[in-house]
Amino acid sequence: MGGGGFTAEPHNPALDDFILSLAPSLEPRILFLPTASGDPNGQIAAFRATFGDRSCRPLHLSLFRLEQDPHDLRELILSQDIIYVGGGSMRNLLAIWREHGIDAIMREAWETGVLLAGISAGAMCWFAHGITRSAGRPEPAPALGFLPGSLSVHYDGDPIRRPAFLDAVARGAIPDGYGADDGVGLLFEDDQLVRIVASVPGTQAYRVQRTTTDGASTVLETVLEPQLLAAVPSLRSRDVPEDIREFRAERYGAAARRR
Amino acid sequence: MEAGNGLLDEYVLACTGVEHPKVCFLPSASGDADHYIVRFYRAFSPGRCEPSHVSLFRRDKGAGLGCDLAEHLLDQDLIYVGGGSVVSLLGVWRAHGLDEVLRECWRRGVVLCGVSAGSLCWFSESVTAFHGPPQRVAGLGLLPYSNCVHYDGEPARRESFHRYLSEGMAPGYAAGDGAALHFRGESLAHVVSSRPQASAYWVQQAGDGLSEVALQVRWLGGSRTLSAA
Repeated sequence: MGGGGFTAEPHNPALDDFILSLAPSLEPRILFLPTASGDPNGQIAAFRATFGDRSCRPLHLSLFRLEQDPHDLRELILSQDIIYVGGGSMRNLLAIWREHGIDAIMREAWETGVLLAGISAGAMCWFAHGITRSAGRPEPAPALGFLPGSLSVHYDGDPIRRPAFLDAVARGAIPDGYGADDGVGLLFEDDQLVRIVASVPGTQAYRVQRTTTDGASTVLETVLEPQLLAAVPSLRSRDVPEDIREFRAERYGAAARRR
Repeated sequence: MEAGNGLLDEYVLACTGVEHPKVCFLPSASGDADHYIVRFYRAFSPGRCEPSHVSLFRRDKGAGLGCDLAEHLLDQDLIYVGGGSVVSLLGVWRAHGLDEVLRECWRRGVVLCGVSAGSLCWFSESVTAFHGPPQRVAGLGLLPYSNCVHYDGEPARRESFHRYLSEGMAPGYAAGDGAALHFRGESLAHVVSSRPQASAYWVQQAGDGLSEVALQVRWLGGSRTLSAA
């Protein structure tokens, strides 16, 4: 997902419902990993609030709190129907996963047919490369590489990501790939793109390819029209203590206050 | 940052020898938990020092810092590392090149301190029990010893520490809750505590057995008790 899902669109569960609908089981086991954001309670509570009301068995894995809640990581991950990876810093996500051996476990999960999903950093991590803002400025970064090619997320919502992506593909620094607007989901079966869906009207996905014209390298950006999913409104905002709300507003801007 | 007990916070501030020191908090081991950052700013208020924090999870939002990370850290008098997962802490630091930056900070004399995972990280090896059963973790190695924290409160950790020592882990220091080991360069200079009963030990393999030498701990609240007694 280029954006969307319960963390970005708490009042629009269309993409989350779509993900659940892909699982073969009526009550799929879905495991949320908020690693890329440092396992914030807000994200975990939002996941529980969204998926707790739905036909599934939701669990989350907080690698920063294994002390209180220890798990056999491999057993836990491989027993799931769906893995849902939250957004945040892709660099941190991959570094922490590597330390815990989760990169190898995820590959095993993928090979055994567990559905791997995610938003933002949690979407790019499955590709060979992504465009991360883990250090502030957008830059290309290698990821797990289960899916060939590259992905850039927030294509419409984060204006400085797209030029960095196009430039990296034009230079050949990263392979051809896809761009996804906020609210757009790309569905792959094995390594083939089979469906493009959206939770928000007017959003798009893009195929981005390097071409050579007159000896100069450039990029070709082709629009891929998504299928709009039916939206079902729901959900309430959650209580956050006053001092933490104030701190967030101070640090992350007024947008954080609304969460 | 113990609730209602600022003794160790005062102590680390005093270690800088600067009247209004620059203090930077690294909450990476907790995943930059908001409540922890708020707690830091409460404990290290601008009246006493010049506080800041570095959030490695939110660099895209420009949170915490406007300038170069290395430059900011090298400019500090004190760097305070919060607790949490030492495995994740070291992984994230490496991913952002902070391991090298902190090594340079240390060479330049910035006071480095931390609690729990923020203590383990400075040593060459440590025992973490954060991820379930205790395990050995290699740290930055600024201090060429092993380290075990929560030594008095968690028997499984203590047992594992002893076992690892018998298996060849470098001899090292164990600290109970509230006890702080103060090193100058690589040498232990003081052991202080925020609680009257806190303990710390030098532990090493000796022949077939284990030698555990209790270190003299100076309670930082000492004089107050005398007047109350």
